[in-house]
Parts: sequence; C-alpha cells; structure tokens
Amino acid sequence: MTVIRATGFRLLFVALALALIGSACADQSGAGDTGGGTAGGGGEGELAGQVVVSGSSTVEPISVAVGEKFIAQNPGVDVTVEGPGTSDGFELFCNGETDISDASRPIDEEEVQACEKNGIEFIELKVGIDGLSVITSVNNDQVECLDFHDIYALVGPESEGFESWSDANELAEKIGAGHAPYPDVPLVVTGPGEESGTYDSFAEIVLEDIAYEEQGIKEDDPVIRPDYQASANDNVIIEGVGGTDTSLGWVGFAFAEGATDTVKLLPIAEEGDDCVEPTPETIQSGEYPIARDLFVYVKKESASRPEVKAYVDLYLSEEGITSVNEVGYVELATEDLEESRQAWEAQETGTRESS
Amino acid sequence: MAIAARGPSTADVVRQHLQGRRIDYKGALFQAAILVALLLSLVILFVLISQVVRGGIEVFQERGFDFLRGRLTVVSASIAGVGQGIAGSLLLMAFVVLAAFPAGIGAAVYLQEYAPDTKLNRFVNVNIRNLAGVPSIVYGILGLVIFVQVLGPLTGGKTVMAGGLTLAVLVLPIVILTTMEALRAVPGSIREAGFGVGATRWEVIRSHVLPAAAPGILTGTVLSISRAIGETAPLLLVGATTGLLATGGSGFFESLRGGYTALPVIVYRWTSLPNEDFRALTSAAIIVLLLLTLSTNAIAIILRNRYERKW
Repeated sequence: MTVIRATGFRLLFVALALALIGSACADQSGAGDTGGGTAGGGGEGELAGQVVVSGSSTVEPISVAVGEKFIAQNPGVDVTVEGPGTSDGFELFCNGETDISDASRPIDEEEVQACEKNGIEFIELKVGIDGLSVITSVNNDQVECLDFHDIYALVGPESEGFESWSDANELAEKIGAGHAPYPDVPLVVTGPGEESGTYDSFAEIVLEDIAYEEQGIKEDDPVIRPDYQASANDNVIIEGVGGTDTSLGWVGFAFAEGATDTVKLLPIAEEGDDCVEPTPETIQSGEYPIARDLFVYVKKESASRPEVKAYVDLYLSEEGITSVNEVGYVELATEDLEESRQAWEAQETGTRESS
Repeated sequence: MAIAARGPSTADVVRQHLQGRRIDYKGALFQAAILVALLLSLVILFVLISQVVRGGIEVFQERGFDFLRGRLTVVSASIAGVGQGIAGSLLLMAFVVLAAFPAGIGAAVYLQEYAPDTKLNRFVNVNIRNLAGVPSIVYGILGLVIFVQVLGPLTGGKTVMAGGLTLAVLVLPIVILTTMEALRAVPGSIREAGFGVGATRWEVIRSHVLPAAAPGILTGTVLSISRAIGETAPLLLVGATTGLLATGGSGFFESLRGGYTALPVIVYRWTSLPNEDFRALTSAAIIVLLLLTLSTNAIAIILRNRYERKW
C-alpha cells in the first residue's frame, strides 16, 4: 500500500512541476502590458485590447455600470475598474499605469505637475454630480435646518470635546451661526474617515473657508473635529447615525436617499435661513449647496486606442450616461453634459476647473 | 507517638475523602468556567454562521449555479457572482503551493536536519518565528515593492502572479515552522537506526525522516493555504480588482499576467456597497469562502489521518 501511495504522490508532484513549467513558458509569450492591443478597428464587437480604469470609489459604480454595457457589446476587450480613491487613482494615472482615472474632485495643482513631469496629457470630462447629505436620525425632531456656520460650530475643529448640541451654543453665537441655540441633547457625530473623498469634499465645501479665513485656523490643519466616529463604510455611517436619536453625520446623497427609514436628510443653507432640501433637482441646479462634480480623466495617448475611445464614447452617450442615474447619483444638466461631449470630441486637454 | 496524637491519622484522612460528602468547590467552579468559555466560543461561531447562512441562502435558492459563475461587479446585483473570485482564489492557491511549499519545506529540512546549532542559526530561527507574526498588510507592501515594481517585467505588474507570490511569501514562515515542528517530532532513534546500518544523511532523511514527518508537514502546509485564502489586505495592495473585471479574449496563460480578484476581496468590496441586494450577495460569497476554507481544512484532516503513525 505504502508503495502505491508514494507513487501517487510522486505523480502529483511531477504534475505540479509540469504545470509550473508550462505556465512559466506561456507567460513569456503572453501579451504585454497595457496597450497591447491596437488591433481591431473594424466594426463593433471586433475590438480587442485593454481598458484600465482606477480612481475614486465614488465614481467607480458609474464606470462599472458603463463597463458592463461596454463588454456586452465588445466581449473581446479586457476591462478592469477599481476604486482605491481619487488621490491614489491620480498617482497611478500620472505614472502612466491607467488609461482612465475616476475622480470625485477636479485634479489639483500637484497632480497636474506630476502628470506633466511624466508627459501624461489628459482630457477632463465631467460626468455627474454627487450631493453630500447632512443627516440625523429620523427620530430627531429638534433640528430642521443647518447652515454652514452651524455645521462648523458642531463638527468643525473648534468643536472638539462637545458632547451635547448645546455645548456649541457659545461658539455658534460668536461666529454667527443661523440656527443656534441648539437643544441640550447628546451630540454623536458619525462620518467618513480621512481617507475618504467624502471627507475631503465635505471639509472643502462646507468648512475650509470658515476655518481658514474667518476663524484663523492654520492653513492645512484639519477642519473637522478629530473626535467623531469615523468609518470608510457608508452603511456603517448610516447605521451609526440612525442608532442615536440626536446624532449628526454626513454621507453621499445616494447612500442617504436609500436609507430614509433610518436617517433624515437635513435641509441646508449656505447662509441664514435659505434652507434647501437635497433632491436630485436642487443638486443638479446647484441650489443645494453641498454638492460635488464627478469626473473622469482620460489619458490623451490612450484616447487614440480604439477600445478606450469606444469606452469613453459609450460613457458620454445617452445609453452610457444614464448609468449615473442608475447607480444613484445625479445626472448633469444638459448644457454641462454637452460641454463634456464637446471636450471629448475636440480632445481638449488640460483642466478647466480652477482648484 | 506524640505526633500521631496531634491530628487524624493518614488512614482517617483517606477514609474521610473516600466516604465523606465534601464537595470540591474550586474544582467545580473551574470546570464550570472552562465550560462557559467553550460554550461562548461555540455560540459566537453559531451566531456568525447562522446569520451568514440566513442572509445568503436565498441567493443560492434563486440563482444557484449562476451565482457561482457570475462576474465581479458593484452595480448589477442580478448578474454579480463569485466565479472570478473562485477562479482567482484557486489560482492564488496554486501559486502558494508551487512557490511556498518547496521553499518552505526545504528551508525547514535544512534548519532542522543539517544546520549546526550556532548563534547565527538560532538567530535565523527566532526571526522566522517573528516573521510568522508580522501583520499581513506588511507583506502586502513587500509584495507591492518586490513583485509588482522590481519584478514587474516578469510578473506583469499588478497581476495574479504578483498576488500569488505575495501570499506565498506571507505563508512561508508558517510552512517552515510547522514543517520543523513535524520533523522534530520524529524520534531520534529512527535517525540513529538509519545511521547505524550505514545510511547517509540524505538517505536517512529521504526514506525515514520525511515519510515519518509527512502527515505533520501536510497538515501544517494545507492549513497555511487556508490562511492564504482568507487574506484580503495584501491582495488589495498588490492589485486585486474590486470593481469590474472583464477578461475578454485572453486565454488561461495570458490571464496569469492579467487582472484578477479573489473571494475575500469581493466580500470586502461588496460589504461597503449601499445597495441592499448586495448584502445577501455578500453573505452568499462568505458562504462560498467558508466552504472553500473548510474543504481545504478537511483535506488536511484526511491526509493526517491517512498517514498518521504512532510511535
């Protein structure tokens, strides 16, 4: 018996070794990296090659939805989409490792320089809008509206240690927040962690101006209190906010809108009592003050490859751009979409967004 | 005489212990405490598994085999599946088997059977022990630098090959340690008997020590595969795809140098999606991952029982 078993094992190892050698040989002859396939070019469905998309995890679902429609038409193309985050995405993009970079904010100065240094030219295309929602529990009937100064008083850098809404009264009065005094109820803050694009956007849109210009906080210091429940997972944030009656938090509109049984989306005013409820319409028109544009950046060099061109063409087509809606974001106003289409048509490089 | 008069005689004490109804409070307390400890871990395990099964079972009922073949996506729950994840995890496993096992077992045989007991070797030993405790994310960074960047031309960058090699390095210390343990358990008399009849060191190791240690080595190495299957963090660093993975026309061997994903990565990604449908899919993916891990563990047990030898 033992003899037979031993032979069995030897055979197994030989088989494994052969498999290793086989795969090693095949690897040598395998196709190269990104940009291997410039073939195709004929009718649709004959495209080959590779489209590599990375960047914002917020935009990821849109690119995936478009990708699904794309591979249904072009089964021969390799498409990979991932979402490590806008900044990580630009790092890869400016290193020339990806064809398309998803972004939940415009590319910044440093990133533009990094791209220039490596000779990467890009075409900036706005594809959708993401509203950020300030949320509290549905059971919270003490708060009806907040303005930017209210938010600063409650979650800004000077609010560290506030355990009750009323702790912020003094600060709120000093900076002229519109909706103080606040009730004397526990304040539990839950939001995305520093690594998240939602954190950056919220800080930038709502808090940075007040902190740096009005309150004299040192530039580049964090503008959100450090003592809050942070999570990268939007569901955890929703659950955290829903779990305490007098909670406060912020999260992407898509996530909040899908959870209105646990959280209440607070109307927001930039200043004073001009409260605007977040709805697809108010976000699209720009009335609702906390919204950010979503972009894709296409590498100019890759744009000439038929498979990448076809993917972006589909992205901006009627069929593709409805994906924005399908995955829960807000579609662009018609003229903004038209602008993106023209930029793509003309292969217009560089950023039009001042940042 | 005076001593005996002071207390009960030994015989009395023994008799009392045998017949008396003295209760061993401390013993009973200890027994209860360890029973609670056991029940607690069982309850946690039961709650976890029942929740996952309850959440995911309907996916299997509705989609069945379709879910096992479906592709990775974060948008359409109705076509999402774990097919690419299973394939990716199996490929990664293959890399671990091919890269970590020969190197690990070889290193262990050298350290245990050949290496003299010098300061340097003891230092190496201690370090391997420490390496086994290094957090997996650190191996991820190592993999990113070595297999993705330095060896990029060979592995093709962020590919399944880079991921597999990273996992192989991750489990290497565990393979070495368990193999050394198994070799150490082989009685010295076996070796001495071999040397006694004139066998060389190689002959003794090949025909006596290794076969005798085989069950232990197999158990340890197979268990290290289960560890590798469950890892997420290092794979995220070395480029497991999280959003969409379409491997259009490329064949099997080309795909070794293409994008990949793995079951735990899919679980990780799906957990963070807002869409309610993906919760059920996450549970279903966890069930698949659990089954895969359990079956490798089962292989370990079968192998051990089959080859086990009593001394």
